[in-house]
Amino acid sequence: MKKQSSLYWICQIAGWFSYGLTILFFASILDKELNPIFYPRLAINLSIGILLTHLLRETMHRFSLRPPMPSNQWWKLVLLLFVFSIINSFSTSYLADILKLYEPGRNFSLSRRFLFSIIFDTPIFLVWMSVYILWHYIEFTNTEEIKKVRLETMIKELELKTIKSQINPHFIFNALNSIRALVDEDPKRARQAITELSNILRSSIQVDKVEIASLEKELDIVKDYLALEYIRFADRLKIVYEVEPNTLSHQIPPMMLQTLVENAIKHGLGKQPGDCTIKVISKLENDKLVLIVQNTGLLQETEKDGFGLQSTRERLNILYRGQAIFEIFQCAPNEVTAKLVIPISN
Amino acid sequence: MPIKAMIIDDERLARNELKKLLEQHPEIEIIDEASNVDEGVEKIDLAHPELIFLDIQMPGKTGFDLLAELEKSPKVIFTTAYDEFALKAFEVNALDYLLKPIDPKRLADAIQKLQAEIELERASLSGNTRGPLSESDQVFVKDGEKCWFVKLEEIRLFESVGNYAKVYFSTNKPLILKSLNALEERLDEHVFFRANRKHIINLHWIEKIEPYFNGGLLVELKGGEKIEISRRQTVKFKEMMSF
Repeated sequence: MKKQSSLYWICQIAGWFSYGLTILFFASILDKELNPIFYPRLAINLSIGILLTHLLRETMHRFSLRPPMPSNQWWKLVLLLFVFSIINSFSTSYLADILKLYEPGRNFSLSRRFLFSIIFDTPIFLVWMSVYILWHYIEFTNTEEIKKVRLETMIKELELKTIKSQINPHFIFNALNSIRALVDEDPKRARQAITELSNILRSSIQVDKVEIASLEKELDIVKDYLALEYIRFADRLKIVYEVEPNTLSHQIPPMMLQTLVENAIKHGLGKQPGDCTIKVISKLENDKLVLIVQNTGLLQETEKDGFGLQSTRERLNILYRGQAIFEIFQCAPNEVTAKLVIPISN
Repeated sequence: MPIKAMIIDDERLARNELKKLLEQHPEIEIIDEASNVDEGVEKIDLAHPELIFLDIQMPGKTGFDLLAELEKSPKVIFTTAYDEFALKAFEVNALDYLLKPIDPKRLADAIQKLQAEIELERASLSGNTRGPLSESDQVFVKDGEKCWFVKLEEIRLFESVGNYAKVYFSTNKPLILKSLNALEERLDEHVFFRANRKHIINLHWIEKIEPYFNGGLLVELKGGEKIEISRRQTVKFKEMMSF
């Protein structure tokens, strides 16, 4: 606030000073020899100008007549403008009159001086007011813009968090149910399944804390997840990994691969009663990391706009600013490919 | 006599787990199981279980689709891992569902409740499963997002709308994909009467009968619907209603 106020005074003084200089400049061009009354009159004009515009500012401030303001209040500004220019014209011409600051030969009446002043000085007040309002308008929109941007980034961060922590409760309870059945049938496998489920739950809790994770870790989660799905659907599910070892150390957004795999399971296994093959491929191509998840089945138009894939696109946009590509398409008559191409970060 | 039951779930382990839990309940006899909807419909039509344990999420078709395909619904206990939204589809009927992994205590409660109902029905029925649908039989009605189990005695009117039939019960009028002729064949003719080309009425729901043009009759049902009985059917109607 204090900083703003001193800025105002600098602008105010500098503005009027340059106005004075302009007058001086034109006067010295037009008149060969400057009249001795010119300086005192200029001084009076300037000081009354500064005083009145400062009062004008205070009034506008007091009555909240500056942006942001409702548009139906503009007439008050026009009214203020007139009142202040009349006061200005009256006081300058009156002062000039009593101080006898006029050329001996040109003794105009007070009302005539007043009229001159109204015509020539009102534009100055109009300019002053316009500059003042414009300033506040720009300042207002700037702070609004900043607020808006801040809000948007906050929303995006929140969105990212919810996207990342999406773990399907349906999956958790079904997995627990299979594990309970396994306890009698295959105790060893049951113990292993509990470890796999814990890993998934742990990573879904931790994922909120990291922005980026290595492909190796992400693949571990995917493997645990698919192992659990395999317990449930052993008779229908086939899982294939084609992972190039040199891709493992690269960084990817956490839970993104997992989302694609879950989507592949949902549509490959959930939408048709037949067998399903899930293929997870990772490779390097043209210095970019390529991740592919394939599943048996037909791509439905609605699938593309599902929450999982939609949020994958949004996350990529936020994290890589258009540098990453995501696409999903029917790659063979009964096979759907989801492909992710992301730049390699150092 | 144990209750004949069937398990319909796409996961082998889930079926096994349920069978294992049911070992504690000798009053339930698992006669068969199915791993998807089509297989389930086929086996139910063949074996006529009194009770089905039905998973909702199955590949291709859901448990609701299965019920919609059945002519008459056996008692149903839904088994699901996490389908609160799907279960909300049932607005009118409080029905039993078990959340997987199933709590043995909840299972025992559900079975006990059903057992009482089934005993009651057995007492009133001859146990004839192939004849026309009786009044106490329940049908599953699915219309868009909403589902109902309706006892036939609650239905007062079937109205033909193109290939569909509009089913009138309480304040609902959902559509089902069945022709009136197919319905007429399966319904008990002593209760459900073909009033004209477009309507089948439940005789127990008749409020008023008035003479109508051409020697026909106009019947008002307790729900307020006015249905014309065609001249040809009026003869039959009078025959049925007299000694």
